[in-house]
Amino acid sequence: MASLEVPELAYEEYTNRQLAAVPLAILAVAVAVLGITFALTGAPLGLGIEFTGGAELTIATTADQDEVAAAFEQEPTSIQPVEGSDQYIVQFAASDLEGFDEDGQAILQDLVDQADENLAPSAGADGSSPVVGESLTSASFGQQIQFTALIGLVVAFIGMSAITFGLFRTFVPSVAVSLSAFSDLIIPLAFMSLFDIQLTLGTVAALLMLIGYSVDSDILLNNHVLRRSGSFYESVHRSMRTGITMTVTSTVAMLVMAAVSWFFGIGLLRDIGLILAVGLIADLMNTYLMNVSLLRWYKFEGVSR
Amino acid sequence: MSARETFSKWWRIAVLVLLVSVALYALFIPGGMFGSADDGPVGDANETETDDSLHNLVFGLDLDGGARISAPATGMTVDDVTLDHGGTPEQAQQAGSDLESTLRESFQSEYDDFQAADVTVRYHQGDDSYTVEVFNDNVSAAAFAETLSAEGHDVSESDVENRVTEETRSSMVSVITSKLNQAGLSGGQAYTTETLGGEHYIVAEAPGYTAEELRALLEQRGSIEVRAYVPDGNGSQENITLLQQEDFDNIEPAEYDNERNQHQVGVTLHDGPAAEFESQMNDIGFTTEGVEQCSIRQNADGNYDFSDSGDQWCLLTMSDGEVVSALGLDRGLATSMQSGEWKNNPRYNMVTGSGEGNEEAAQHAREISMNLQAGALDAPLDFGNAQVMSVQSSLGDQYKTDSVLIGLVAVFAVSGMVYVRYRDPRVALPMILTALSEVVILLGVAAAAEMAITLAHVAGFIAVVGTGVDDLVIIADEVMDEGAVSQARIFDNRFRKAFWTIGAAAATTIIAMSPLAVSSSLGDLQGFAIITILGVLIGVFVTRPAYGSILRKLLTSEE
Repeated sequence: MASLEVPELAYEEYTNRQLAAVPLAILAVAVAVLGITFALTGAPLGLGIEFTGGAELTIATTADQDEVAAAFEQEPTSIQPVEGSDQYIVQFAASDLEGFDEDGQAILQDLVDQADENLAPSAGADGSSPVVGESLTSASFGQQIQFTALIGLVVAFIGMSAITFGLFRTFVPSVAVSLSAFSDLIIPLAFMSLFDIQLTLGTVAALLMLIGYSVDSDILLNNHVLRRSGSFYESVHRSMRTGITMTVTSTVAMLVMAAVSWFFGIGLLRDIGLILAVGLIADLMNTYLMNVSLLRWYKFEGVSR
Repeated sequence: MSARETFSKWWRIAVLVLLVSVALYALFIPGGMFGSADDGPVGDANETETDDSLHNLVFGLDLDGGARISAPATGMTVDDVTLDHGGTPEQAQQAGSDLESTLRESFQSEYDDFQAADVTVRYHQGDDSYTVEVFNDNVSAAAFAETLSAEGHDVSESDVENRVTEETRSSMVSVITSKLNQAGLSGGQAYTTETLGGEHYIVAEAPGYTAEELRALLEQRGSIEVRAYVPDGNGSQENITLLQQEDFDNIEPAEYDNERNQHQVGVTLHDGPAAEFESQMNDIGFTTEGVEQCSIRQNADGNYDFSDSGDQWCLLTMSDGEVVSALGLDRGLATSMQSGEWKNNPRYNMVTGSGEGNEEAAQHAREISMNLQAGALDAPLDFGNAQVMSVQSSLGDQYKTDSVLIGLVAVFAVSGMVYVRYRDPRVALPMILTALSEVVILLGVAAAAEMAITLAHVAGFIAVVGTGVDDLVIIADEVMDEGAVSQARIFDNRFRKAFWTIGAAAATTIIAMSPLAVSSSLGDLQGFAIITILGVLIGVFVTRPAYGSILRKLLTSEE
C-alpha cells in the first residue's frame, strides 16, 4: 500500500518573491477571470435561480431530454438530467417568464400543468404527475437573498480576520492569514465562473465552510513559527506535515462526496464538494507558498526593522 | 491508583461515552427524549411511514416531501396617529375601534370589494398612539392618506408605509398555524423571516402538501362577516356591517339539519357584540317589518341577484367578500330579539343553503366553520413576490437514502486517508471512531430538539466530520512529535499545545458561521450554520479532549 509522506520543500533555495509569485499570479488570473466575466455578462459568475428569481421543476418522466424541453411553451433556461435516474431538473429564469413578477405562483402552476399534460410520469413519481419537485423564487426575493448572502460572506470574512488579529496580535502574520483566506475564496469563485457552476445557497455554504477550513492550516503554520521554539524551517516543516495531512484528507473526502453526489444527482452536495476541493487545493498553495514567504520575510527582515 | 487519579484519567472518555449513549437513546428509543416525537394527529396518511421508522429524527420538507411558501403580506400602515380619548385604557381602546368603524364605513362607500377586515386600528399604550392599517390592493396610498385626513388627522401620502405591523404578522402566523392544524397536518408550521433589507416574509410549511394545495389554503383569507341588506329609507337598499370575525365566540361544526332541511353552522356571539347586534337588528326593523322579508335568491350561475325591487331585509353572510347566503330573519329569533331575551343566550344558526344533496351549501358551511375557528388572515399574502418550494415524498426519500450513502462514502474516504497516513491502528482507529461519535452526538441533539433535518443540515454534518478529523490530525501529530511519548507529563504538555491551535481554529469557524446562524432570512443556510457551530463546540469540548485521553492511554507507557 502506498504511504503518504509529506515532501519537504526546499524553501531555502527560493527567494520570498519567487515563492509568493506563483500564488499571487494565480490570484491575479482568478481576479481577471471574474473581472472579464463581469464586464461581459454584468455578473462575475452565474447566479442560480434562487438569486435571480425563476422557477425550477424536478420531473420524473419516461420522456427524453428533447421531449422534456419541447413540453413547455417557454423554452427552459436549463435542463439537467439526473444521473442514474429518469429525472430532469428544469429551470426557467424569471426574466424569460411573462407575467412572473405579477403572479409567479400562477406561472409556476402553468408550467406544472404543461408538464402534466405533455410528459408521462415514470415509476419514480408518486402519482399521475411527473412533477416531483417544484420551486419558485420571485425576482425581488432573489435580490434580497443575494444581498443577504453577500453580507453573510463579508461578515464571516471580517469576523475571521478579527479573530486572527486577536490571536496573533501582530500585523504581518495576521494579514498573511487573511490574504490567504481571501485567495482561497477568489480562486474557487473563478473556477465556478469558468466551469459554469452557479452561485446558489449551497455554494455560498461551501464558501463559508472554506473560510473555516482554510484558516486551520494557516493558524497551524503561524502558531508553529511564531509561538514555538526551533528554527524557522523546522517549524514550517513540522506544521506542513500536519497541515498537508489535514488538507489532503479533507480534499479527498470532498472529491469523493462530489463524485458520489454527482452520480445521485444531488446538485447541492455535489457543488459543495467540488468547490471545497478546489478551495482546499488553492489553500495548500496559498498557505505553503504565499503565507510561508510572508512569514519568512516577517521573521528575518520585518521584525528587525 | 487513587480515585482522583483514575477520575482525572478517564473523565474525558467517560463524558464522551455518556454523551454518545444519551445521543443513541434520543435517536433510537421510541418516543425519544421527551416522548413527543411521534404524537402526530391520527389519520394522517403521510405520517404513518415515519411513525414506523427506527429512529426519532425529524426531516425537513426537502427530505420528507411537502411544500413551503414564503410571501410578504399586502398592506399599508400609518404610524403615530393620535386621538382624543377619556384617558382610561378602555376609553382609549374604544376611541380606536370608533375610528376603525368610521374608516371602514368611508372605505366601504368608496370601494365595492372593501371587506370589514380590510382596516385595523391598533392602540399602543406605551406612547398613547394608534397605528392604522389598510389591507386592500385597490386603495392607493394617496386615497388612504386622504381618508384619514378627512377624519381630521394630518396625514400625507408620504406617511403611508407599504408594510404591515408586527402585530399583524404575528397574528397571521397564528392564523396560518391553526389553519394548518385544522387541515390535519402534523408538522405544518408558520413563521416569519426578515431579510437584511428589512422586508418581512410570512412562511408556511406543510408536509405532504403540493404547492398548489398549500396556496389554496393560504389564498383563502377566511374572513367572515355578516351584513344587513336593508332599505335605506330613500327607496333603495344599503349594506350595514353587523358582525365580524372577532364578534364570534363559540363555533360549532358544520351540520345538516334534517328537520329544517338546511346546511348550517351554529354560532354564539360574545356578550358585548351580542347586545349591540340585537339592538341594531331591532333598530333597522329586522325584527318588526323585516321578519322573513328576504327574496334575494341565487342565480343559476351561483351568484346572488340583488336587482330584485321592493324592500328587503336580508342577513348576508360574506366569506372573503363573497355573499354565501342571504336570508331573512326567522320569526322565532325575531321575537326573542325584540323582547331583548336573545342576548342572554346569543346563539343562532348561520344557514348556507337547503337540500341535503346541496354540496355547495355543505362546502360553504364547512368553510365558514373552519374559517371562523381558525380566524381570518389579517392581510392577504402577496403571491407575486413569493418563494415557493415543494418536493414529492418519493424524491425526498431518494434524497435521504442518497445522503446517508454519501456520508458513509465520505467517512470511508477519510478513514482510508487517515490509515494510509499513520499506519498505526492505535492512532487511526480511535480517530475514525471519535469523528463518527461526533456525528452521532449531533444527530442525537437534532433528534432530541426535533430539529427538521434538510439537505443543508446534511452538508453541515459533512463539514463537521471534515473539521473534526482535521483537529484530530493536529492532536495526533503534535503528541507524536519527535518520536514516542513515553511519559504522561510530556503527553499532556504536547496535548495542551495542540489544543491551542484547535481552539483558535474553532473560534474562527464559529465566528464565520454565527451571522448565518442567527439570521433566518437565508432559511436553508441557517440550519447548516447551526449544525456546524454545534459540531465544532461538541468537538472542542468533548470529542477532541476524549481522543487525547484515548491516545494518552494507548501511547504512554506509564505503569
